[in-house]
Amino acid sequence: MARMKFLCDAERCIECNGCVTACKNEHEVPWGVNRRRVVTINDGVPGERSMSVACMHCSDAPCIAVCPTNVIYHTEEGVVLHDKDGCIGCGYCFYACPFGAPQFPNGPAAFGARGKMDKCTFCAGGPEENHSDAEFEKYGRNRLAQGKLPLCAEMCSTKALLAGDAAELSDIFRERALRRGKGFEAWGWMTAYGKDKEEAK
Amino acid sequence: MKPRFPLGLPAAVAAFVLLAGCSEEPQVVQYEQGKYQGKTDSRPWEGGAFNGDKTAWERALHDRVRSQNEYRRVE
Amino acid sequence: MLIKKSAAPGNASRQLPGPVARHLGATMDRRAFLRRSGLGAGAGVLAAQLPYNLIGSADAANPGAQSATGGEEVRRTVCTHCSVGCAIDAIVKNGVWVRQEPVFDSPINLGAHCAKGASVREHGHGEHRLKYPMKLVDGKYQKISWEQAINEVGDRLLKIRAESGPDAVYWIGSSKHSNEQAYLMRKFVSFFGTNNMDHQARICHSTTVAGVANTWGYGAMTNSYNDMQNARAMLFIGSNAAEAHPVSLLHILHAKETGAKMIVVDPRFTRTAAKADYYARIRSGTDIPFIWGMLYHIFENGWEDREYIRQRVYGLDKVREEVMKWTPDKVLEVTGIAEEQVYTIAEMLAKNKPSTVVWCMGQTQHTVGNGNVRAMCILQLVLGNVGVSGGGTNIFRGHDNVQGATDVGPNPDSLPGYYGLATGSWQHWCRVWGVDYEWVKSRYASEELMTKSGITVSRWIDGVLENPADIDQPGNLRAVVYWGHAPNSQTRGAEMVEAMKKLDTLVVIDPYPSATASMAAMVRKDGVYLLPAATQFETSGSATASNRSLQWREKVIEPLFESKPDQTIMYAFARKFGFADELVKNIKLVKDKQGWDEPEPEDILREINRGTWTIGYTGQSPERLKLHMQNMHTFDVKTLRAHGGPCDGDYFGLPWPCYGNPELKHPGTPNLYDTSKHVMEGGGNFRANFGVEKDGVSLLAEDGSASKGAELQMGYPEFDDVLLKKLGWWDELTDAEKAAAEGRNWKTDLSGGIIRVAMQNHGMHPFGNAKARALVWNFPDPVPLHREPIYSPRPDLVDKYPTHEDKMKFWRLPTLYKTLQDKVRDISKEYPLIMTSGRLVEYEGGGEETRSNPWLAELQQEMFAEVNPKDANDAGFRNGDYIWVESPTKARLKVRAQVTQRVAPGTVFLPFHFSGWWQGRDMLEFYPEGAAPIVRGEAVNTATTYGYDSVTMMQETKTTLCRVSKA
Ligand code: SF4
Ligand code: SF4
Ligand code: SF4
Repeated sequence: MARMKFLCDAERCIECNGCVTACKNEHEVPWGVNRRRVVTINDGVPGERSMSVACMHCSDAPCIAVCPTNVIYHTEEGVVLHDKDGCIGCGYCFYACPFGAPQFPNGPAAFGARGKMDKCTFCAGGPEENHSDAEFEKYGRNRLAQGKLPLCAEMCSTKALLAGDAAELSDIFRERALRRGKGFEAWGWMTAYGKDKEEAK
Repeated sequence: MKPRFPLGLPAAVAAFVLLAGCSEEPQVVQYEQGKYQGKTDSRPWEGGAFNGDKTAWERALHDRVRSQNEYRRVE
Repeated sequence: MLIKKSAAPGNASRQLPGPVARHLGATMDRRAFLRRSGLGAGAGVLAAQLPYNLIGSADAANPGAQSATGGEEVRRTVCTHCSVGCAIDAIVKNGVWVRQEPVFDSPINLGAHCAKGASVREHGHGEHRLKYPMKLVDGKYQKISWEQAINEVGDRLLKIRAESGPDAVYWIGSSKHSNEQAYLMRKFVSFFGTNNMDHQARICHSTTVAGVANTWGYGAMTNSYNDMQNARAMLFIGSNAAEAHPVSLLHILHAKETGAKMIVVDPRFTRTAAKADYYARIRSGTDIPFIWGMLYHIFENGWEDREYIRQRVYGLDKVREEVMKWTPDKVLEVTGIAEEQVYTIAEMLAKNKPSTVVWCMGQTQHTVGNGNVRAMCILQLVLGNVGVSGGGTNIFRGHDNVQGATDVGPNPDSLPGYYGLATGSWQHWCRVWGVDYEWVKSRYASEELMTKSGITVSRWIDGVLENPADIDQPGNLRAVVYWGHAPNSQTRGAEMVEAMKKLDTLVVIDPYPSATASMAAMVRKDGVYLLPAATQFETSGSATASNRSLQWREKVIEPLFESKPDQTIMYAFARKFGFADELVKNIKLVKDKQGWDEPEPEDILREINRGTWTIGYTGQSPERLKLHMQNMHTFDVKTLRAHGGPCDGDYFGLPWPCYGNPELKHPGTPNLYDTSKHVMEGGGNFRANFGVEKDGVSLLAEDGSASKGAELQMGYPEFDDVLLKKLGWWDELTDAEKAAAEGRNWKTDLSGGIIRVAMQNHGMHPFGNAKARALVWNFPDPVPLHREPIYSPRPDLVDKYPTHEDKMKFWRLPTLYKTLQDKVRDISKEYPLIMTSGRLVEYEGGGEETRSNPWLAELQQEMFAEVNPKDANDAGFRNGDYIWVESPTKARLKVRAQVTQRVAPGTVFLPFHFSGWWQGRDMLEFYPEGAAPIVRGEAVNTATTYGYDSVTMMQETKTTLCRVSKA
């Protein structure tokens, strides 16, 4: 069974915001709501790295744990979705999410649901009839049900952002990592292994 | 205003009884750890393009994943 | 704890189970029902499925074909935002563009897009578009009808033409036109009777085109984005590909991953630099000393490719003399790059071959732009990297069709295909057009003006403002037509509004009102017309990507609002001007929905095919291009060649030169001048375009340097009837070909017979086989020389490396160099910081189109300037403050400070995509109502200064001066 995940390759992400825009396009996400964002560290100096971040579709999702109305759920593929009809817009998930993924649209135009939480759906729609107007209005398109993957990843300019079954993604990434034949530039490498080296300097 | 259960409380709320009659309004928001209370959702391969053929759906996704790997087309 | 949504095993059916269905009474609250069904195990899937499945069973039987359901159609088009040429599948339903899907099959982008490409569907909304023709009345734009617009504009231009001659009207075409539109525009303006026309290429890569073509034959990217995967080292200088050509990074980072060294040299630590293996910071405007500095080490260490130079390069000795003057200490003094760094980069390029170089406007937009690009060519020649897969000069062009518009579009110095303006060129094209040469001549004010290059877009303002006695044409410009071009991309904006004020008539033909509309309304009360043009998604046609591949765009949607495709507007004006029949002599007209006549793009392309022999735009018939678009998956990503399938053997998009008739089936040329391939397989060699000898030295290539399979393995001149007869091959022509070829050469033989015989029968290149010229004797600096920018931060170096002498008649205008440089020699005391400009990934060009797109506008909401912390602290402002950036023209820009080490102390960087503010003031009120871009900001070019390249009139934007203060 597929376990859906994102993987952003920091060696490739060029902060072009293609992913952010693809998401806006596919789901008609209104101004002010960003299901996906690109964050950059060391901006403008050597060591600059960017990462595209959305809902991580956590296995042990804090948002699910805290939602007072219990309207956030996991699909069988591990996608974290929620039911806007039962959402009270309290923002508890916003507190709990380590990535700032939940968004709180402002105004009636936003997915027809004022103040309801909105977040990345892994392009899997929500609890409405697949491909129905209701699903599109509240949650955006359901690409998974069309046999397609998230548009943000499919359109990524450098194929930095990957989406799909975690096992298959790691195959893709492993191949790249092998080609590079080096590790210390990779995201998190220094944190994981580089301490002594840095201190020794 | 109906009382709301503080989140810190253990999930001790009695199960919501499903009545055969139809028009009862639920009186409180239910909180129970581990229980999704929103609408159910269908699975991606149900209806639509795949009409319940899960294998076909998995195959489609598998192909799609591979299109994210340019090494497959280069060399 | 995991929470799984409940779903009944085995109950994948969408049918409602009987008992539950019975509970669905009208009395039941929908939400309550749904909530309950969430609890009821086993009944899960039935929940939200009313109304029932929208998709019919016929489609369900065909998994994966869903996008084609419900009346949805797929139209394949190409992104219009840069020269990479990323393919797009547009999903259209009931005439509405509802979705955009990645085209994984495209060998160019494999489905990928940057923010701009991922946003193009917004064109189908177009809320901020120019919706109908408008006219400035008493300072406000008012709606008028198309008929009124064509009549009034037409009458005004005809009146000016009658009073002051055709050269009093200036036409600014577009690099966003398709090939067909750009080509038709050159023809259209010629029939109006002037060479006063230009487009974005002037201010983007004109120095490249001139410099590179004069070095070895064709002024274009030699290889391709894809081919960079074969490089072992890549030098980016004056290119920020990660922002300007994002999807090229797909290939570049892939190459890096497989071991290629990536080097960036730039005044800014760009996002491209962030991905590089090696970065060096250079002082803006000192590229030649840096390149000579590298060559110094290359020559010192004997890293040059001697055999290659002997066979294929002319005049390198003179270059070597100049290079050896650039000792490391001098290079450091001028460029700021230390010897060790210069050496390292030179070594990386020399020892990791094939190595390639990439440049963009960081090299071209200088007073020494033509020298910069030739120095790059020389570097690659010395290393033997040209005509080699993985090598070459990968010149990334800007707009999606700037290459095509340069090739066949409205250029002031040439007819389509770089034929020039000589009488013979005119006669060639008149034959193709099917019109009488004498008639065309009669349209011009004189034969002299017909053969003289027009004014450039970079200088049109001087065409208006200059003293008429000093202009090299009958009088000043009185009308300007901005046909798909932004005004804020040209320098000296402060003077531009003066020129706009002085004009009799100003016309904008564009999908967006553009900054022209607001700038004009700011200073004028009337005499301005705005006509809505359709975008490339509302018509069809071909576009040439940077790698010379042509791609055909299908029409996605009908033109929105009242807009019309450019070719339709051109034809309407041709009718008004009285040369409609001549314009479309060989071109079919089709009626659009409103009954207007549209010249058919396919037919225009066929006419291009019939005439453009010089650069091989002859083999790309619409049929072949369409076949490529439908069979993208058959092309190899690294070589761009199709293996099997209907396009077997072709290179994707038939990259020009694709010689001969379509029937010759030339596959296109993936890498120029590649002698390792047969000419019928896309091989070639350097062009014999500059005679066969110079001062007693042969210019032809040495023996053994001809392309694979050439019958004569030696240098040879270009083919004409005489050479064919001498070689005894004349009788290989058919009788019809003989009749057409008699007295002609390969460029003017309309039968294509000479090309066929030379290439197919004998494996020879129709343009001959010569050496590349390291010494371009017909340019002001035959060997590229360092010359300080006119506004230099270094008076001491101005004395050592002064600019050119002033020129009196240069593209019809007097042009200042030395006198101005002397005058401002010490101005850096008042304006101590270098002001430079560049791109942002979210926006394109002048930016009105992309800043009108909410998906993009949200990502960059304010104009800013990057300032080093040191300069910010010295001037007393902080990150995020509003500051004034003031240039020596006294124009002041109010922008947000972005304090960052991306720029070095002493350099200020500003993005050039903004407009809609004027020296601190929002120009919203000057836009037509509802058509202003969402994001507005100061245009950097409001403040840029004087300075032009000595060959092409390219404007200097990359090195000028400024000072900053807190606002
Ligand atoms: S997966 Fe879909 S919803 Fe989530 S960020 Fe990507 S495009 Fe947006
Ligand atoms: S599209 Fe890809 S490269 Fe661009 S910002 Fe998103 S993840 Fe990074
Ligand atoms: S702007 Fe260029 S790189 Fe971006 S999607 Fe369009 S063609 Fe591709």
